[in-house]
Amino acid sequence: MLNSRIEPFLLDVQKPSRYTGGEIGEIIKDKSKIDVRFAFCFPDIYDVGMSHLGMKILYSLINERENYWCERVFAPWTDMEEIMRREQIPLYALESGDEIRNFDFIGFTLQYEMSYTNILNMLDLAGIPVLQKDRGEQISPLVVGGGPCACNPEPIADFFDLFILGEGEEVNLELMDLYHKMKKAGASRSEFLKSASQIQGIYVPSLYEVAYHEDGTVKSITPLEGAPEKIQKRVMTDMNQSYYPEQIVVPFLETIHDRVSVEVLRGCIRGCRFCQAGFLYRPFREKSADVICQQGIALCQNTGYDELSLSSLSTSDHSQIEEILDNLLEYTEHQHINLSLPSLRIDNFSKSVLEKVTTIRKSGLTFAPEAGTQRLRDVINKNVTEEEVMRTCQIAFEGGYTTVKLYFMMGLPTETDEDVAGIADLAQKVVNLFYDMPEHAKGKLQVSISTATFVPKPFTPFEFEPQATKEEILRKQQILKKAVKSKKIKTMMHVSDISLMEAVLARGDRRICSVIYDAWKNGCHLDSWDEFFYADKWYDAFRKNHLEPAFYANRTRSYDEIMPWSHIDYLVSKSFLIRENQKAHAEQTTPPCRQACSGCGANQCLGRACF
Amino acid sequence: MKDYRIVFEKKGISRYISHLDLNRCMIRAVRRSGLPAWYTEGFHPHLYLMFPLALSLGLESVCEIMDLRLTEELPSKEILDKLNSVLPSGLHALEVREPKMSAMDITGAEYQVRIFCPDADALSLWNDFISQPEILIQKKTKKGMKEINIKSMITIRNINRQEEDLLLTLCLPAGTDGSLNVTVVTDAFQNYADKPILVKSACRTKIFSGNQQDFF
Repeated sequence: MLNSRIEPFLLDVQKPSRYTGGEIGEIIKDKSKIDVRFAFCFPDIYDVGMSHLGMKILYSLINERENYWCERVFAPWTDMEEIMRREQIPLYALESGDEIRNFDFIGFTLQYEMSYTNILNMLDLAGIPVLQKDRGEQISPLVVGGGPCACNPEPIADFFDLFILGEGEEVNLELMDLYHKMKKAGASRSEFLKSASQIQGIYVPSLYEVAYHEDGTVKSITPLEGAPEKIQKRVMTDMNQSYYPEQIVVPFLETIHDRVSVEVLRGCIRGCRFCQAGFLYRPFREKSADVICQQGIALCQNTGYDELSLSSLSTSDHSQIEEILDNLLEYTEHQHINLSLPSLRIDNFSKSVLEKVTTIRKSGLTFAPEAGTQRLRDVINKNVTEEEVMRTCQIAFEGGYTTVKLYFMMGLPTETDEDVAGIADLAQKVVNLFYDMPEHAKGKLQVSISTATFVPKPFTPFEFEPQATKEEILRKQQILKKAVKSKKIKTMMHVSDISLMEAVLARGDRRICSVIYDAWKNGCHLDSWDEFFYADKWYDAFRKNHLEPAFYANRTRSYDEIMPWSHIDYLVSKSFLIRENQKAHAEQTTPPCRQACSGCGANQCLGRACF
Repeated sequence: MKDYRIVFEKKGISRYISHLDLNRCMIRAVRRSGLPAWYTEGFHPHLYLMFPLALSLGLESVCEIMDLRLTEELPSKEILDKLNSVLPSGLHALEVREPKMSAMDITGAEYQVRIFCPDADALSLWNDFISQPEILIQKKTKKGMKEINIKSMITIRNINRQEEDLLLTLCLPAGTDGSLNVTVVTDAFQNYADKPILVKSACRTKIFSGNQQDFF
């Protein structure tokens, strides 16, 4: 149902179909038969949020329950926000058009740190008190959060009633069931939160007291009222049994990832030391080829999409990848569907896989060696050798590819100037390889280098490491610029205070809540959009709260420091992270999980070895 | 291989689907419908759909046209039923025709506009507006703003009063030889009136070829 107050303004904004609902696949229910209403909020605009796979899974999962209704909510773009504030139209859900402040759950997915101010802004637009302590004793609305950034929810702890750690397919329903029962019994908010804290995977920040040392580090985290000392994330142990939707909402406008996707596996066997997802989503679990094909075909049929993506952290690590491709290609080629594999790995990129991909679409190749020299790649455990890069590029060039994109990180732990110059050397070798091939493809070769600033994240072996300062990154960018000699190599470098803020928010403690609050009050939101990121306002907020960004971003933590997220358990043990950190400094690699178990501890939830 | 001309309506929420998005939306609908769509034969085969006349964002219509090519001949009813079972709310296929004319033959369209003017008599205001010797509007061109007179482009088919609303039926040029958007007319009216005017709805009701013949 189109919100009647918003309708008169739809032609005054860009892309009005962001605000209308009414898409194929949306789920409409009879309000009078609903016991619990859940507003699934993505803290960014529709175009971004509608690309998010997790939302699609949980939306359909909740709506499978007849008496629960999950609806979608996105942040309005600035043009619409202005109208909503001027006309005092509260934030509403797309399906019913109803204001979300009367919902039972306001659930935010925490995908990236720079979306935090959007959460505050959306709560405010909805007319819900931004701070948890101001929400009173009535049981609803409950503001809950989940997703990867929930692994360190401390910087946003003041805004949430509870966090859901790990995978939501089971625990979301357990939480809603408990709520349904307690609401009928007339429970208060604090009574409900106390009970909810006993569910595995539910973290209620108000039930923990944090004390600090004089130097600003955490002294202790104390659970109150019987809340568990450690909160362990939830895991779906069997991917074949795990809920997956066969119908999704099909947007009218073009979204960032405008396609259907089947999740083929969870976790990652690689153990790249900078990659938070690679540790957060452990253990490695595959969906079987049959289930993948059946889900993929059903999604295509029900939505009419002409692109199907096999998504995961590393799709080519699926043990049945060739079988999956063969089976799916039979269907997709006949139905004129593009099959896309967004995350192929450089080291197992076989010729037959490449051929299968090229029968579908020939676009540029993108590789992420992440570091310019073998030494530094060993440090970060990106187990890719130069020979493998060259071999893959050779296969690609033979297959007619002429554009290669290389992704690197700058500011990695132990990085030297030689490592930075090594980025240009590697790109140059790719250029030379192309022209040394007697029958290289006609057309113009283009090798592009893009670099991003490394952000150390919790639950990685680099959680102890300092982030390089902006000055250091700028200096290294100059080194790289000078080292690039060929006109065939294009460098894309970018420096911004966003990486610094991301580093602060990723490893921040509860004191950062007031910084985020003040930054938002000063007008910060949509921070991940360059044009709306105001570094000065963030720095002002730090000053006002007598906190230093450098304390959080650029400081080395000792192994025995209590991290702000020490009470949160993502199955990967701290001793493993320390071991990996030491190996990084010793320039030693760790083999992929399939080859040898490195003892991270994630398999405890399976009760067996992963492989 | 067989070409079909589908007449469909675009009402309610669907009027906020832009022309580009409508194309994508219809392609997906045809794919969901299971109709035997014909695909182009190039390196990147794509489903063949053609819209002879675009509709501006926000306008409703009861006479939109989409040309679709199927690999086999099917009864009209089957095509309509299959499409209507998969179309989103507001889009509805009304009729299947055999295409006789080409998009180039389109010369004009008819619109029904419902206007409400809270502070004045809408009908007399409109009469004053339309009897001006010239109706000038600013049009953005490559060389900057240009003033043009649209008076001769507006043909009034009918004027009606319905309760407090003014109901206008207008014919305006449309097609490859130049179009006049109905919102340009209502905006000009608004400017002239210098009073708040509410366009409650605007709907395309007919598409014409030369001599005001129905486009077929």
